[in-house]
Amino acid sequence: MKNRIKITTFLLVLILLLTAVFGGTSVFAANSTYQKVADLNGKVIGVQTSTLYEEEIMDRCPDSKIMYFTMPPDMINALKGGKVDAYLIEEAGYYEHYKNHPELTVVPENGGDCRGTVAISGKDKQKEARLLFELNEFIAKHKEDGMLDEMYDYWIKGFDANTSVCKEVTYTGENGELRVGVEGAYEPFSFVSFGKDSGFDVDFVQRFCAEYGYIPKFDRVAFEQIAPGVETGTYDLGMNIILSDERDDAVTLTDVYYECGIFLVVLDDEYVSTTNFIESIKNNFHNTFIKEDRWKMFAQGAGLTTLITLASILFGTLFGFLLYIACRKGNKIANGFASVYNWLIDGMPTVVLLMILYYIVFGSTRVSATIVSIIGFTLIFTSSMFDMLSVGFNAVGKGQVEAACALGYSDSQSFFKILLPQAAHHFLPIAENEVVTLIKETSVAGYITVMELTKISDLVRSRTYQAFFALISTAIIYFLISGILTRLIRVLEKKIDPKRRSKDKILEGVVIEE
Amino acid sequence: MIELRHVRKEYEDVTPLEDINITINKGDVISVIGPSGTGKSTLLRCINMLEEPTSGEIIVDGQVINDGKCDLNEVRKKMGMVFQSFNLFGHLTVIENIMEPQMTLLGRSKQEAYEKAMDLLYTVGLATKVYNYPSDLSGGQQQRIAIARTLAMDPEIILFDEPTSALDPSMIGEVQSVIRLLAKTGVTMMIVTHEMDFAKKIANRVIFMDEGGIYEDGTPKQIFENPQRDKTRKFIHRLSSIDFNINNEEFDTYGAISKINDYGDRLLIEPERMQNLTTCFEEICINNLLQMTEEPDIRVNIEYSEKKDLLNMNITYSGEHFELESSTNEAFLQVLNAPDTKYLDRVITDDSDEIRNRINMTFIWEEI
Repeated sequence: MKNRIKITTFLLVLILLLTAVFGGTSVFAANSTYQKVADLNGKVIGVQTSTLYEEEIMDRCPDSKIMYFTMPPDMINALKGGKVDAYLIEEAGYYEHYKNHPELTVVPENGGDCRGTVAISGKDKQKEARLLFELNEFIAKHKEDGMLDEMYDYWIKGFDANTSVCKEVTYTGENGELRVGVEGAYEPFSFVSFGKDSGFDVDFVQRFCAEYGYIPKFDRVAFEQIAPGVETGTYDLGMNIILSDERDDAVTLTDVYYECGIFLVVLDDEYVSTTNFIESIKNNFHNTFIKEDRWKMFAQGAGLTTLITLASILFGTLFGFLLYIACRKGNKIANGFASVYNWLIDGMPTVVLLMILYYIVFGSTRVSATIVSIIGFTLIFTSSMFDMLSVGFNAVGKGQVEAACALGYSDSQSFFKILLPQAAHHFLPIAENEVVTLIKETSVAGYITVMELTKISDLVRSRTYQAFFALISTAIIYFLISGILTRLIRVLEKKIDPKRRSKDKILEGVVIEE
Repeated sequence: MIELRHVRKEYEDVTPLEDINITINKGDVISVIGPSGTGKSTLLRCINMLEEPTSGEIIVDGQVINDGKCDLNEVRKKMGMVFQSFNLFGHLTVIENIMEPQMTLLGRSKQEAYEKAMDLLYTVGLATKVYNYPSDLSGGQQQRIAIARTLAMDPEIILFDEPTSALDPSMIGEVQSVIRLLAKTGVTMMIVTHEMDFAKKIANRVIFMDEGGIYEDGTPKQIFENPQRDKTRKFIHRLSSIDFNINNEEFDTYGAISKINDYGDRLLIEPERMQNLTTCFEEICINNLLQMTEEPDIRVNIEYSEKKDLLNMNITYSGEHFELESSTNEAFLQVLNAPDTKYLDRVITDDSDEIRNRINMTFIWEEI
C-alpha cells in the first residue's frame, strides 16, 4: 500500500517534469536580436570554465556578468531557461549546437578568435622536449600538406554526429604509451560514440601517435582539469588548450593546431518550433538510450558505480574494524592516528580528496582512476565505519564486558560473543545511512575520469543536448542501487538480531525433560 | 586459599588501599563494611584483578596472580563475581546467560549446561523466566540470575560487590535470601555491603575498612557488639557527630541550626526531639554564653547513637559559669525540666588556671 503511494507520487512528479521540460521548448522570451558584441554589455554571459573566452570580449562588455559552466549542454539549457542572455562558444562547437537546437542564433560580430594547442607535461624534461619537437614537427608538416585543414573541414565544418569517424590507424607503439586528457563531452572535438572516443582532438592524437610510434590512452576529464592534470604528470598530453597570455608560462604548449572564431550565441526570437510534444519525447528517449546503444553505457556506468560502492564498503568495513580493534584498548598511538585520520577525512570534501589522490598521491603513477576512486571511498568508509563502531560498542554497557572478564572470558571471546552481537544492533541502522551517502558520493568520481553513472549521463547529455531522460534515469538507477543495498543491510539486521530468534532455536539440540 | 600481601592501589588523585594484608580461608563468609570511599569495592576488584594493584602480591592457591605471568582467565573461572549493576548479557535470554559461560569457558555440552542452568533457576526461584531477556526482569530478578550465572561456573569463591545497593528496598529481601542460602552451603564468599544487619547475620567474619587498610577484623559478634577500635565503634553506633566552635560574635547561628536539623533528618530523628535540642542550643549558647563575654570560646558536640537511641549535646565553655535554671525562657525551661531530658552541669578545673564548664544534655524519646 505504502509502495503504491510512493510509485503514484513518483509518476505524478515525472509527468509534471515532462510537461515542464518539453512543454517549455517552444515558448521563448521575446529577445530583440543583438547585432554587435557591445550590445550585450551588462548582460549575463555564459562561458565554459577554463576556455578563457570571456577575456576576448571583456573590452566590449566590461559590465557583463560572467557565469561559468562545465559542459556546453548546460549553457544551452541556461540560455533557454533565461539564466544567461548569451554564451560564448567556438565556431566549431556552435554548428553542432545549432543542429540540435535550431532556436539558437549568433551575434553577427565575432567574439574573438580561439587558437587551440596541445599542453605537454613537464614532469619528465627529456620526454617533454621530445614530444614538443615531435608535435610541432607534426603540426608544421601537416599544415603544409593540408591535412590539418582537411581535418578541420571534416570535423568542424562538415561534422555529422552520426557519420563522422576517426581515420583508421595502426600503432607501432615502439615509443610507449601516451596518456592524453580530453574533454570527452565536447563535440566535435572529443566525444564518446558507441562507447569509444572520437572527435577532432582524438583523430589528431591518433594520427600523431601512429606516425610517431606511440599508443594513445584517452582519459575523459572536465575541461578545467586537463591543464592541472598535465602539470602534475597524470597526463602526458592535454588536448585543446586555448592559447592565452596567462597560460603560456604554466605549461609547455605546442604550436596552434587549429584556429576558429568565437561566437556569441543568443536565442533566435523569430524561431517557431515545429515538433510536437509526443514527438520530442520520443526523439529525446531515442537519442538518450537507443542511438549508438547508449543504454549500454548507462549499464556500464551503473555497474562501475556499484563496483566502487561495494569494494569501498568491503575494504572500508575491514579497515574500520582493524582500526577500531587497534584503538579499543586505549593504545595512544592508534587513537592518535585514528583521530587525526578522522579529522582529515571528515574535514575534506570528497572531490578534493579524490583529486588529491589522483593528481598528487598517485599523480605520476599509472594506477587506474577506478582503483584510485576505490581507495578514496575506502578511506572515507573506513572513517565512517570507525565512528559507527565507536558508537555501537559504546552503547553496550561497560559492565557486561567487566562481567565477562570476571567470569574468565578472554578478550577476544568477550569481543565476539558479548560485545559484537549487541554493538551490531546499534551500528547497523547507522550503516544503512552511511551506505546510501557513499553511493551518492561516488557520483563525484567522474572528476577523476572514472566512467561512473553520473559521468556517463554527462557524456550522453553532451551528445544529445537533451537532459531529461539522461538525468531522470540516472536518478532512478541511484535509487535502485541504494534501495537494494539498504534492503540487504536490513535483512542482515534482522538475521543477526538475537531477540528475533524463536524459542526452538535458542535451545536447539537440547533434550528438555518436563 | 587467597592471601593478600602488602597490596596497595593508587589512582592519580586517591589511594584507596594503602597496605592490605589478609588471608581468606576456605569456607569463610566475610562481610566487608566501612564508610564510603574506604576501598571496599576496590579491594574486591583487586582480588580477581579487575583492578591491578599498584604493588603487593595476591596469592591464590599458592600462586602469585599479579606478576603478569599467570593466566588470569583461568584464575577468574574459579572466582565468581556478582556486581552491583547485575551486568547480565543483554542479547541473551535468561537460560543462555547461565549456559553461555559454561559452554565457552568450561567446555560443557549444551545439554549439560542446560541442565545445570535449570537446576540453578529452580534454586533462585526463577524457573519460569527461561526465555525472558534481562530487560524484561526486575532488578531483584536480574541479580538472582546473575548469581545463578556465577554459580553455574562452580566457583571456589564468590565476590559480591554491593549486590543489593542498586535495588529497590522491596527487592533487597529476595536477593539477600538467595545469598543466605548460599552461605549455608559452605561456599567461600566475600560480600561488600551497606546493610549492617545482613552483614552481621550472614558472615562468620567481618572486616571493617578504613584509613586505607583493614582497620579491624573479627567475628560478627566482636565487630558489632564489642568493637575494639575507635572508628569501628563510631561507625557501628553510627556515632557520626557534628561539632561547632563558637569563638567570635559573628557566629552563623542560622547556619548552625540548619546543619543540626539536616543531621536529624539524615538519621531520621524525630522532629520534636530535634526541636528540643535546638531550643536548648539556642538558649544556652547564643542567647546567654555568647552574650556573657567578648572573647567567646564555646565548643558544641552533638551526636546520636542509633543503637541506644540517645541524642547527646555536649557544651564546653570557658569563663563565668552560667546557671541553666536562671534562664527566663519559658520554652527552654519546659524542655529542661521535661522527664525525657537529662542533663549534667559541671565546672571542671584542670591544671591551668582557666575555669572550664561542661554541660552534658541527653534527649530521650519514648514512644507514646
